[in-house]
Amino acid sequence: MSILRRRDQCRSSLGTPSTRARFSAATRYRSQEDAELHNRNLPEMPAPFQTPPSKPANASTGLLGEGYNTDAQMAQTTPEGQPQEYIPPEQRDDPRLPRSVQAIYLKPLKRRAQYGVPTCDLQLRSYNVRNVEFFADFALRAAYYLHLPAAGPIPLPRITERWTVPRSNFIFKKSQENFERITLRRLIQIQDGHSETVEIWLAFLRKHAYYGVGMKANVWQHEKLGVGKTMDVSLENLKQAMEPKWAHFGRRKTLETSERAFEMMKSEAFQRTGIPLPSSA
Amino acid sequence: MSQFRAKKLDLSCFINVRVLRDHTKRKVFEQYETERQALRYIIRNTTLPGRARAQAQLQLSQMHCYTRSTQINNRCIEGGKSRGVFKDFRMARYPFRMNALEGNIPGVKKASW
Repeated sequence: MSILRRRDQCRSSLGTPSTRARFSAATRYRSQEDAELHNRNLPEMPAPFQTPPSKPANASTGLLGEGYNTDAQMAQTTPEGQPQEYIPPEQRDDPRLPRSVQAIYLKPLKRRAQYGVPTCDLQLRSYNVRNVEFFADFALRAAYYLHLPAAGPIPLPRITERWTVPRSNFIFKKSQENFERITLRRLIQIQDGHSETVEIWLAFLRKHAYYGVGMKANVWQHEKLGVGKTMDVSLENLKQAMEPKWAHFGRRKTLETSERAFEMMKSEAFQRTGIPLPSSA
Repeated sequence: MSQFRAKKLDLSCFINVRVLRDHTKRKVFEQYETERQALRYIIRNTTLPGRARAQAQLQLSQMHCYTRSTQINNRCIEGGKSRGVFKDFRMARYPFRMNALEGNIPGVKKASW
């Protein structure tokens, strides 16, 4: 949520510098009070640093610095009709966005995997390019801030399904119509991730699931020898958690069937047929 | 048959007699699935005595037809039609077309290639 929200804030503040520049150019000779009032009308802008009075005036020729200069300073710095001299970015006084905010406008950062052992394959599916691209970007950023080395988004082959139906509800097969559904897929692979961190990452993505984007994750864990006993315990615990979800699927009733067969063979009707009593189900 | 039918309506889509019947068949099949499978197991297990297997065959053939999976037939949720029903959308071809054109089915668009 935090990343999403920050992105939104930045979107809204994205428009302001240029508008402010235009505005300040038009009202260059307004008084300081007006500039401050204008500043108060735009609360979502990241708080800019005021040009310190001790600095030389010609240092503040940046985009945002302009609005805050007094008339006297402006007269000194930019005489009309003369091109402004170039100032390298590190010497400029205008405020820049914090690095973490600025990173949102850039490609998502990635961490380098040391061993390259895949621990999680996350597949994102959607019918919409924008949604799946946006969410892949979000997932990569989340992975970066969780210190997970991620590879991707790898575009997987699209799944195209097509249906042809007659246009009419009854006869007239000659006139038909085609429909299609294209599923877009993106793969994000986490390498060398600690299983708990990967779970946190997946839970975070599930919490902030984006509309129209489905997720599927294959998770691999590496254990020491002799995990069988711990797995038995965890399986029992998992059953309670998974049962409500599995209830939505049609499953083969193998266990129930064998129990039922065992019961039947023990019943009186079958015992009379000379069936041997099974020792174990 | 009516002995299996729910006393109270337990469906919320388009309803007619055939839809109700199919719904009942699905429930009955699910209820008796293990029993059918157990009998099939006994019938096919060649290590069991022939008399027992014959007994199981008899029992299986005497089970109600509603317990068979072959009785189930997909029906359109919009109009109850049984023919031309898409499994993906559980809709017959015409309701599917109307819904797809309206944009009610996610991702389905008119195709042109």
